[in-house]
Amino acid sequence: MTIPEFMKSLYLKASIHRKSYWLVIVLSLPLHLISWVLYRVQKPETNYIEKLNQETSLFSEQQRHYWFEDFYRQEKAKDQAFQLHQSEDTLRKTAQRLAVQHEREELRKKLEKQGVVPQTYSRFTGDLIGKPSFFWMTLIFAFLLYSFLAGRSQSFAWFVLGRLVQTLFVIVGVAAFVFTILYISPLDPAQNILGVESTPEQVANFNRIYGLDQPYLVQLWNSLQGLFTFDLGTSFAGKENITASIASKFPVTLIIALFSLLMAIIIALPAGIISALRPNSYWDYTFMIVALIGLSIPSFWQGLLFILGFSIHLQWFPATYSTSNWLSLVLPIAVLGTSIAASIARMTRSSMLEVIHEDYIVTAKAKGLTERQIVSKHALKNAMIPIITVIGLLFGGMLGGAAITEKVFNISGIGSYIVDKQFIPDIPALLGGVVYIAIAISLVNLVIDILYAFYDPRIRSTMKKKG
Amino acid sequence: MKQITNDALRLKLSQEYRNAHFTWIFTALFALLFLVYSFDFSTQQVRLPVVIFFVIYAVTALYVVFLTKRIRNDVIRKGEVQKRTRLLAYPLLLTIGAGNIFASGFAFALVSRNQTPEYTFASYALLTQLFVIGVSAFNLFKPYVVDTFLLAMGLLLVAALLYAVMIVLTARFVTAESAPKWMLIPGIILLFSLFIGNFFGFLLGYSLIKKARSKNPSSVEKWHTMWLKITRNTMAIFGMFFITFIFSLSVVSEWIFDYDFATQNNYSAILQNPSLEYPLGTDDFGRDLFSRIVFGAQISLIVGFASTVLPALVGGTLGAISGYFGRTTDSVIMRLLDILYAIPGILLAIAIIAAFGANTVNLIIALSVGAIPTYARTMRATVMQLSNFEFVEAARALGASDASIIFKQIVPNSLAPMIVKATLTIGGAVIATSSLSFLGLGIEPHIPEWGNILKVGSTYLETHSYVAIFPGICIMLLVLSFNFFGDGLRDALDPKTN
Repeated sequence: MTIPEFMKSLYLKASIHRKSYWLVIVLSLPLHLISWVLYRVQKPETNYIEKLNQETSLFSEQQRHYWFEDFYRQEKAKDQAFQLHQSEDTLRKTAQRLAVQHEREELRKKLEKQGVVPQTYSRFTGDLIGKPSFFWMTLIFAFLLYSFLAGRSQSFAWFVLGRLVQTLFVIVGVAAFVFTILYISPLDPAQNILGVESTPEQVANFNRIYGLDQPYLVQLWNSLQGLFTFDLGTSFAGKENITASIASKFPVTLIIALFSLLMAIIIALPAGIISALRPNSYWDYTFMIVALIGLSIPSFWQGLLFILGFSIHLQWFPATYSTSNWLSLVLPIAVLGTSIAASIARMTRSSMLEVIHEDYIVTAKAKGLTERQIVSKHALKNAMIPIITVIGLLFGGMLGGAAITEKVFNISGIGSYIVDKQFIPDIPALLGGVVYIAIAISLVNLVIDILYAFYDPRIRSTMKKKG
Repeated sequence: MKQITNDALRLKLSQEYRNAHFTWIFTALFALLFLVYSFDFSTQQVRLPVVIFFVIYAVTALYVVFLTKRIRNDVIRKGEVQKRTRLLAYPLLLTIGAGNIFASGFAFALVSRNQTPEYTFASYALLTQLFVIGVSAFNLFKPYVVDTFLLAMGLLLVAALLYAVMIVLTARFVTAESAPKWMLIPGIILLFSLFIGNFFGFLLGYSLIKKARSKNPSSVEKWHTMWLKITRNTMAIFGMFFITFIFSLSVVSEWIFDYDFATQNNYSAILQNPSLEYPLGTDDFGRDLFSRIVFGAQISLIVGFASTVLPALVGGTLGAISGYFGRTTDSVIMRLLDILYAIPGILLAIAIIAAFGANTVNLIIALSVGAIPTYARTMRATVMQLSNFEFVEAARALGASDASIIFKQIVPNSLAPMIVKATLTIGGAVIATSSLSFLGLGIEPHIPEWGNILKVGSTYLETHSYVAIFPGICIMLLVLSFNFFGDGLRDALDPKTN
């Protein structure tokens, strides 16, 4: 199959597909300019009607009468069942109409078998695309259409493209949403920074410097531009470069988040697996009650307790963070990891319990595999899918929850940066902090989704079915 | 060999045996806790009241171990718990005096053979009531009490008496299928329990009315099975107990506790250690922590409920519309909600509070907005499943409008997952409330709220750690209770997800 022919088949498929119908029409607009003119000029010869008339004789009078009788009987039964009391004449007319319809349908099927199809405009366009000369000539202005069609045919690429567009939309949406919230705020940053005794001129001057006097859409556009070009200007208070300070604070938060995630996985996976393998045992109850306690403990209080126990009484770890001392990271990591570990353990247990009763596990048992082999080679792989999703979602909550943990341990990460800036409110700094965290989370979830589609055969097959 | 496996199975199926195990383990754990706390390492002194508690709990634990052995023998030899063993559980009822809810709850479950949900409701209604009265009684050690104190306490005692009577009546007359007709009268009276915050009493009343009228046997059976599952789930029922206890306490605190103790500065009693007059000590302004925590429960419950109900309503509606109509409507709504979903709840709340200022109403709104997408997703998934069912087709064939199909057919049938979700997220809302207050972004600092108390406590961590410890324990227990209850509710409503 040559490229034009391939395109032709894709185009014909897409033009009857409901989901992308409008998109195809819009994308192929430039193409239609030419093909419509050609269609009008050429008036493609179609022998469909002629054939139709010829083939009418294919059906015998008997056959037709049989169809009529059949429909008539149906109509009559319907009439009696619903007590419609239609006249004999109406019944006959309806039956006749249905019989003719049926005949046409049968005819169409027969002709289709012989390769005779009605010539429509979309089919004409498809044929044109199939011609190499036309295809190469129109390649430039129908490029979008062709790449769209090609992308659609590759379900995986299509899926990735879709997720990318969606993520982009979410990121822009988050930025616009957070900006709007801050924009409609009744609080006045200028008053807060300049003090109560500031003159109206000073306030106006402040607003002019930071562009706060401009209309909503202009400010929104500037903020979006700033976010995506990594240039958010300077903060209201302190006049430091916002992007630079966010960039310097992000690594600490990320390190803590990643290590606590690692700690959580190391603790939670075995705990969840043991609980699932021995449901309703002492181990199960103990692990699950501890996990629920871990979920229920407020992280700032846990932080205070840890400081009280490990810093003040035992003096093992320092209570506040310092960049030079890695020991000072231990307590925040433990605190942040607790609730994550609890969630992962609960998810592992329920996911494992579900998998462990599947037929293929029974088969593995019947094969004589040991429990260890079954778990590590068969059960865990499938049980991991929902667990990884949960981990991806938890990562988001963790970056958000970092704000509180960071405040308790006095870590100057992105979370405490946001909290510090909210009192003014320092609009660009807040916007940058929240949106960059949201972007980080969206990207993590995007990567997880794509990896899934790549590794999980079930997702791939459903993608193909859809496409 | 076969005999042994049968015995093991029988023991596994025996509710009493499992409860007994659970009870002695928890009582022993508490005894251990008291033992550790009984010696003050800094002053090298023994705390006598704590030692007494340790002894009581240790004796209780041993007694329950003895009962566990008897139950085991009974179950293995006779197949069920014998009358004599049940009689031996009566002394255990006294453990309520020591505040041992595990042992007293177990005792109530063991003394009667007739384990209907109504009986459990009645016994836990009494337990809750006695706990509330016990905690309220600490006010007697204060220099003065509020004017309504005696009246309110009298009312609470009357209610406790009523519940005690109901325990006997339900054990005698209520069966799984029905209750005698005259039970309607106590049933209606018991509905008033809601005014003193006793959910168990209210549920008991409702359940009795339902059974006494017995109009619709299938609905009675459904109700009975659901609550039987929940009441048999030990952790769920304790969760429900603690929630009811806190709720009831915060309802009656208006008439029993003096708000001035919680908010008025008293410079003659700054940072006192726990004593009879100040059961949990005082803070840096001499305010009674005990009263502050009790009034803080009100705020936590109100904010927790409001910031769960609001997003559940909004998200539920959006999810229902999205799931029912599908196609473009679905895409538009869900893509817009994706934006909200991408921002972590706490950060969104901080941003909203930054924009509109920190107060209770803004806090509720801020917490609600972030929770909308999860509810919408839950609702959408359920509705999508339901809208393919035959009864929806039937309603459509009968000419019902879309709105009436959604709100009369689909929504009532998809409430279960929403209720479970809501119960499990109230805990999160309570934590978020106190976390934001701790950061100074939540409830106004002058209002006694658990996060605010903790904020004060964090500055006195080294010298007066109890200021930070007690409110934290309250938050944890309340959230834990909601989680346990939510888990139990989920298992009862949808066994598949377990």
